[in-house]
Amino acid sequence: MAGTRTRAAAVAALLQEECSNLLALYREKEDFPVDVAEVRLVPVAPPSSQLDTRDKLLHLHSALLQCHTLLERAITKEDEMLGGGEKGKYEKQREMVKNRLSHLIISTGELLKAADGSPILIPHSDDPEEPFSPSHSQPRSPTVLFKLKLWIYQIYKEVDHWTKAVIATLKELPAETDRKRKRIMPATRSARITRSMRR
Amino acid sequence: MSRGSSISPSKPDRDLVWLICVLLGISGLNAQTNIVLTAPRQVSLSPNFSTQQLSVSWLGGAATTFDLIILRTEFNETVFYETVSATVNRVSGQHQWTWTSKEPLECTSLSVKICSRDGQTTSEWSETQILQGYDLPSKRDFQMYPQDRVVPVGANTTFCCIVEEGKTLKRISYGSTEMVVKNLSRRSYAVTAVNQGPSRPSGANVICQLTEINKIIGAVVFVGYPPLPTDFVCQTHDLQTSVCQWNKGRDTRMYGRRQTRYYVNGRNCTPPQRCSLPEWYGNWTLVAVNPVGQYSLTDSAELSHRVCPVAPVKLNRVVHAWNATVFWEWTSVNYSSLALVCQVELTSQGYKTKRVFSGSGLQSVVLLDLQPNENYSVQVRCGSQKNFWKWGNWSEVLPFTTKTYVPDAPDVWMWMNRDNTGLVVWKRPTPQQSHGQITGFEVTLWNAEENLQRTQSLSPDDYSLPVNLTQMASFSNDNEVIATVITQNVEGSSQPASVPLRLIDMDPPVFSRTAFTDSGFPLTWQQNASTTCSYLIEWLDASCRHDCQVEWIRVNAGSTNVSIETDTFQPGVRYNFSLYSCPSSSPLLIQRWQGYLQELVPSSSVRLSVSQQGSDAVLTWEEIPLADRRGFLLGYNVYISHGSELLPLAKLSDHGTRKYIVKDLDVGSYKFTVKAYTSAGEDTGTTVSIMMEPGSELILSILVSLGIVTLLLSIVSFICCKKRKWVKRAFYPDIPEPKLPGDWSRTRGPLDVKPSPHSMVHIVEKSEQDSFKDALVVIPEEEEDDEGQGIGDEPVDTDEPQSLRYYNQMVDERPIRPRFPDSSVSSASSMDSASTDVTYTGIQTSCSSLVFQQDPQSASEGHQPDADHSVSCGSGGGGYRPQMHPIALSDNIGLASPEPLLEPQAVSSGGYKPQNSWHIDSPTEEERNGLAPSLGSPVSVASTQFLLLDEEDHSEEKQQPPSSAATWLSNLLSSSKP
Repeated sequence: MAGTRTRAAAVAALLQEECSNLLALYREKEDFPVDVAEVRLVPVAPPSSQLDTRDKLLHLHSALLQCHTLLERAITKEDEMLGGGEKGKYEKQREMVKNRLSHLIISTGELLKAADGSPILIPHSDDPEEPFSPSHSQPRSPTVLFKLKLWIYQIYKEVDHWTKAVIATLKELPAETDRKRKRIMPATRSARITRSMRR
Repeated sequence: MSRGSSISPSKPDRDLVWLICVLLGISGLNAQTNIVLTAPRQVSLSPNFSTQQLSVSWLGGAATTFDLIILRTEFNETVFYETVSATVNRVSGQHQWTWTSKEPLECTSLSVKICSRDGQTTSEWSETQILQGYDLPSKRDFQMYPQDRVVPVGANTTFCCIVEEGKTLKRISYGSTEMVVKNLSRRSYAVTAVNQGPSRPSGANVICQLTEINKIIGAVVFVGYPPLPTDFVCQTHDLQTSVCQWNKGRDTRMYGRRQTRYYVNGRNCTPPQRCSLPEWYGNWTLVAVNPVGQYSLTDSAELSHRVCPVAPVKLNRVVHAWNATVFWEWTSVNYSSLALVCQVELTSQGYKTKRVFSGSGLQSVVLLDLQPNENYSVQVRCGSQKNFWKWGNWSEVLPFTTKTYVPDAPDVWMWMNRDNTGLVVWKRPTPQQSHGQITGFEVTLWNAEENLQRTQSLSPDDYSLPVNLTQMASFSNDNEVIATVITQNVEGSSQPASVPLRLIDMDPPVFSRTAFTDSGFPLTWQQNASTTCSYLIEWLDASCRHDCQVEWIRVNAGSTNVSIETDTFQPGVRYNFSLYSCPSSSPLLIQRWQGYLQELVPSSSVRLSVSQQGSDAVLTWEEIPLADRRGFLLGYNVYISHGSELLPLAKLSDHGTRKYIVKDLDVGSYKFTVKAYTSAGEDTGTTVSIMMEPGSELILSILVSLGIVTLLLSIVSFICCKKRKWVKRAFYPDIPEPKLPGDWSRTRGPLDVKPSPHSMVHIVEKSEQDSFKDALVVIPEEEEDDEGQGIGDEPVDTDEPQSLRYYNQMVDERPIRPRFPDSSVSSASSMDSASTDVTYTGIQTSCSSLVFQQDPQSASEGHQPDADHSVSCGSGGGGYRPQMHPIALSDNIGLASPEPLLEPQAVSSGGYKPQNSWHIDSPTEEERNGLAPSLGSPVSVASTQFLLLDEEDHSEEKQQPPSSAATWLSNLLSSSKP
């Protein structure tokens, strides 16, 4: 598990850096001010200290999955509503973040599996507008273009937020690594969360 | 009285008519003013938020013009107030007028009032109708308008931001530019972007920020150009359907959903710039549309004028050695009767050629003039032969290789050495000449008269064959040997190529020079009218002497110039070019050239040597080998080393010069450098050094001079011997014997003259005069006679003190010998011994010298006669008169007479007094300075002239104290004393 955690931490660190770059590119591209109020789009509670390792990982894994879904929707909508020009640095960075996020989801899934949890499958759907994901409960993307831009920016912020959460959580894990198997919580709670994600 | 009353009622009747008319007119006017303007009723507002238009309709009675006022409700600001002519709906009777707002209608509430107008008369205002804005208290949201607007480049757009209730606006920016804000209402703020430029693909953002929280709201606006397509044209490929194409024209800056859409004859053309239509319409219309505008283009044509055939397919070929046939098919059956013109592009070795063929429904062509065993590739495209429109697309490339064939005859030449050996050489066949893989060469040497043949087979890698004609029997008979070469490949043997083997350049013409140019070495020659043969130009490295690998080209008959250019030319190598006529039958050398691709500085320096010739240094060097010259030598530069630098001595522009003499060098070490130079510069040079020694030249010159002097003396001696009588008469005439009046006869004998004790010279040494102890102490003989008469001013005897000084020195060391009576003997003795004896001869010579001083020749030598002497001698009456010292007469003579004694007895008894010029006393200061009067001793003169240096040296001595030269001379003479 230590190797997986290390790999996940490395991926998260990379994603955090790439996400920061993406945010900077987007602000530059859209002349957005730096101090835009954040809006939480992923309805997952942050992993509190009261949760055990598996639940923490489950929260993070779920949040990352929703971020991934949102990110895919954002990219699709942006290309559809606002794209059409030549692909540049921003588009490459955007794709890089999406791929890195997928890797982080896999890494956290492995961690979760190692912690006797059941990882959630990475959503994959041919319909980017209505992907198969827990985000079915999320509101549809805005139709007004400026709100769409703001929504995309907030999705990037959300990815950044949850990546930082992963990094912070993984730093706390080592102390519990060896004890996790002996203190496995009853699976009912995590199973409930998993079901809700799948729904 | 009754008639008068009958007339008066007529005037009142006329006034009544006038009154009635006026009243009727007034009543008519009143009837008009009684039309009352009613205020418009049922005013209604119909907003179009997307177009920012507000449509106002009302019922307005009979009025045709209305005053319309629009106010911002909250601030009661007038936005619009004009008199308008509204259109009337004849059915409903409603008036309608549409107003376009600069600001979005959502920004704030608008109040609209209308009144009817008839000229200056207006009705009452209608009731105010309010279009409610989105800044009502009931709508508390943070909003911005308009959203997602698309406008053309250069447009002005007003945006408004409605802040949340209780919040304060921080700023509104357009892109990165903060805008000037205008209040439309309490919560609504507007900004206007003027002359908007093209936006980026995702549009320009107008962002509204609040002060209190980091919340933003905004709008996106897309700014671009309307479409402007060009070059719309339609054609057919299959003679049935039509395909239309166009260019997009300028970039509209509209992307994605807002990009331009195209329609041809109403059909949506999904692939951009190209649209296929199912039939030939003859007329086409292209409509390009985007959110900010649209543009139309049309085209019309007959089908036969717009045929662009499709590309041929399924190309195939039938290949031979020299030609090939290419086939293809058409995808459209309609081409079978179509007159086509087709272009076949043939590519070989990177070179492309196009051949054109035509025919109805053309499906094959024959390609002639191909090279055997050559790789080719072809592709075909066609067009309509009638009403040619344009070429169709190229087919795919079809590669093929022609078949092999017997090779061409080789290009043969030869190189003959002077020992009748040589090389038969031929060029490597090119692929165009070999026609296949070369398997070998066959060389035959034969003689036509004796019909002797020697055949030798060579490998494909051999391109020369050494020959030795002396080993051939036919050669000894001076018959011509011919070399024949045949090339062989898998298909067979080539035609033979021949060249006669013989040394051609037995008497080579003079080389001309040719300078390399961009096109090679230009060679030009005169056309020989009698020659109908072709030419051959051969070239080789000029330094080659034996079995040279020559290169050559053949030139057609009649040519008079050619440029030689190959990759094998090297800089710094001299090439010889030779022009031959009739190279295959009877080669004749016509002209030769030499040239360099590029001249360089010589690669080696001359071999230099130096030798001394007297005071000259002779530099000699050898010629630089030809291979090392690397250019035409222009000459040599000669330098002398001065420290570390070279100073030029000479620039020898004759390259044949091999020697240079550096003249008049002093003794010492010298270094010389000689550098050869070409047009590219001089070489590094060779340096030699030489130590110039004194020597042989000076000694030789001294010996020569001594020899000449000896010869002259011998000649003079000989002449004197031959003419001794004349000499004696001239220089030593006999002294006349005195005649005595009495009987003085006695036996003749020699006069025994004893020296007088007063004749002794007394040397007085003074310690304070050490520096002059060897100097002359003289008492001039004239001192007594002419004392104080400008002695010092007479230059004649200025050299005499030297003579006297010399004698004085002699006297210092030797006693005075007795005198000889014979003057001649005395003279000879004086001459011989160089003695310091004061002799009688001296006295005689003094007088004789006076005689000769009359001789102009003697005068010319500068021996001016002393006037005092003349007087003195003259007083003697021309006869002999011995000198008498008037002062130093001894007492025993007893004569105090100043008159000189004339009688010999008196001389004898009284004692003859030879010259005694020396005082016992020390000389005066003048005498020390060399100004002492000369005693004028002729012996001294004669002796001095023999022993002393020339007159110039003499004169120097006159002005100087005894010099080193005089000292040296005295020492020399001293050493020669017996």
